[in-house]
Amino acid sequence: MKRVQPRLLLVSPAMVVLVGLLVAPLGIMAFVSTLQRGEDGGVLWAQHTAEAYVQFIYERDLFNNLAVNTDYLRIFLRSFTLAAATAILTLLLALPTTLWMAFQPARRRALLLMVVTVPFWTNLLVRNYAWILLLRNGGVIDRGLHAVGFAHASINVLYTPAATLIGLVYSFLPYMVLPIYVSMEKIDRRLIECAYDLGAGQLRVIRRIILPLSMPGIVGGLILVFVPCLGAFVSPDLLGGGKSMMIGSLIQEQFGDARNWPFGAALAFTLFAMILVALWLHHLLFRRGLEARP
Amino acid sequence: MLCQGLSKSFGAVVALDDVSLTIEPNEFFTLLGPSGCGKTTLLRAIAGFVGLDRGSISVHGQGVDGLAPHRRPVNTVFQSYAIFPHMTAAENIAFGLEMDRWPKRRVAARVAEMLDLVQLSGLGDRRPAQLSGGQQQRVAVARALAKNPRVLLLDEPLSALDQKLRVGMQLELKRLQRETGITFIFVTHDQREALTMSDRVAVMNAGAILQIGSPQDIYERPTARFVADFIGETNFLLAEAVGGNRYRLASGVTLEAAEPGQEGLSVTLAIRPERARLSATGPVTGRVQDIVYEGTDTIFRLVLAGGESVRIRQQNSDGARPRFVIGDMAAVTLPPESVRVLTA
Repeated sequence: MKRVQPRLLLVSPAMVVLVGLLVAPLGIMAFVSTLQRGEDGGVLWAQHTAEAYVQFIYERDLFNNLAVNTDYLRIFLRSFTLAAATAILTLLLALPTTLWMAFQPARRRALLLMVVTVPFWTNLLVRNYAWILLLRNGGVIDRGLHAVGFAHASINVLYTPAATLIGLVYSFLPYMVLPIYVSMEKIDRRLIECAYDLGAGQLRVIRRIILPLSMPGIVGGLILVFVPCLGAFVSPDLLGGGKSMMIGSLIQEQFGDARNWPFGAALAFTLFAMILVALWLHHLLFRRGLEARP
Repeated sequence: MLCQGLSKSFGAVVALDDVSLTIEPNEFFTLLGPSGCGKTTLLRAIAGFVGLDRGSISVHGQGVDGLAPHRRPVNTVFQSYAIFPHMTAAENIAFGLEMDRWPKRRVAARVAEMLDLVQLSGLGDRRPAQLSGGQQQRVAVARALAKNPRVLLLDEPLSALDQKLRVGMQLELKRLQRETGITFIFVTHDQREALTMSDRVAVMNAGAILQIGSPQDIYERPTARFVADFIGETNFLLAEAVGGNRYRLASGVTLEAAEPGQEGLSVTLAIRPERARLSATGPVTGRVQDIVYEGTDTIFRLVLAGGESVRIRQQNSDGARPRFVIGDMAAVTLPPESVRVLTA
């Protein structure tokens, strides 16, 4: 038992951070979601109710009858669709990029890796505003089109879901590139040579050797993009014009303008639970693959 | 297989310097040399992974210059096996056949046949992580042989195995080569491996082939000092040719060698320690400097009158033999047929 104590001492800072900044706030959020909302915002700390979760699926009419309300479910579905579309698009963009990057000479790889992380150095808000300047009617892209001869052309994209998607893909691309790159860079080059030696052409080397061995990075990238994308509200608000509500915006609104903390907490907690289930499924699916790795 | 005038430089480093060689069908041919001598570069050039600066390669009369690795009729067993970690043993072996678009049933039959050949029957469903080093090695060999290549290239395939396993795999590879009748080109820096396995050996150094011959040839009749020195142990004695097969040592003593030399020419005489014999009296004498008992053999080191040091390896036996202690004067007998004359 004496040996355990110094170890406990060593992990205690990490435990304090985890409990204080993750477990405790999650607990508070779960607790708040079961409270009654206050008249002017805030919550009544002594009054418990499941109202917040009921509100997610039903709405009360004037006579206090419950009717199914799919508004919030639709917002969830829309957010999931958008997040999935973002994840798939970033994956499609990231694969050729990483394939190219991972097989450059070592010195150039370091430089390329730095270039990928450059966008992180600028504030997310600023970068989204920059996209407004590019996409708006009469913006940089429109003027470019005029300059090459399409006199009255306009892409008419700003404040549409497409603009949201562009913004999200742009913001989250590095989160896809980095884990895939790490996976690909680790692949033993002799495996690739060996596949060529056994008669595989370039495409089949990619499909049969490189992609399967990059799977941990691909799945990691999908999670890293999909999950935060669900809660994103900067791009939907700025580029999508806030016209079609996303989960992130909805939650933010509950704590802000709507002053409905329990409902905001319930939404956030529902989202959290859904993501946990998704991660657990992923774990079940890939456990076998992880065990088989040398 | 024919290689003509192969040259390759990496920057200022010459990896291959005008290398030419012919390898017969069904031959077990070994490229032997220290690391960095160019033997792996030569192998990779044959496989198509290294582009040549000059020269051409043909396999069974078919030129392969400019062909991508996957279009060449050769397969490689890589140094670290390079087993695909995400596939089972059977899937690894099937890979090359699938690349050639063999029908499924024939692939299955061939994989079973190959597993049998390398004595891994029943382990086809194992993942590489569940196989020992020796078993992975067998999968690598089976995978490369499955496509029935004209030539199998083996890049130091045994260097990662422990000594005991290594000897077993040497016999195994030799058996596979006999049974399949495929030409093996084997790269190694281990002279013992080269001698025991090969039909012919090419000794390389600094990007050039110094000598090609049977194991007996290169051991018994080395033509270059490097070859004599790299393979086994050799005593070198500087001498001057005095006509016929006779040479004069630094001490003025003359002795007979296996080959004649032009009178007045400075040469190096080479003799293996186990061919030299120690005796009480004789023309070439020296003082016993060291005696090392090695179980089967005892090694004596003699310093000759001219200052040269000669090692003599004598097999230990129960029979009577001259006893020497350090500091004794002794004579060394150098049988003429074992004294090689090196000019290079």
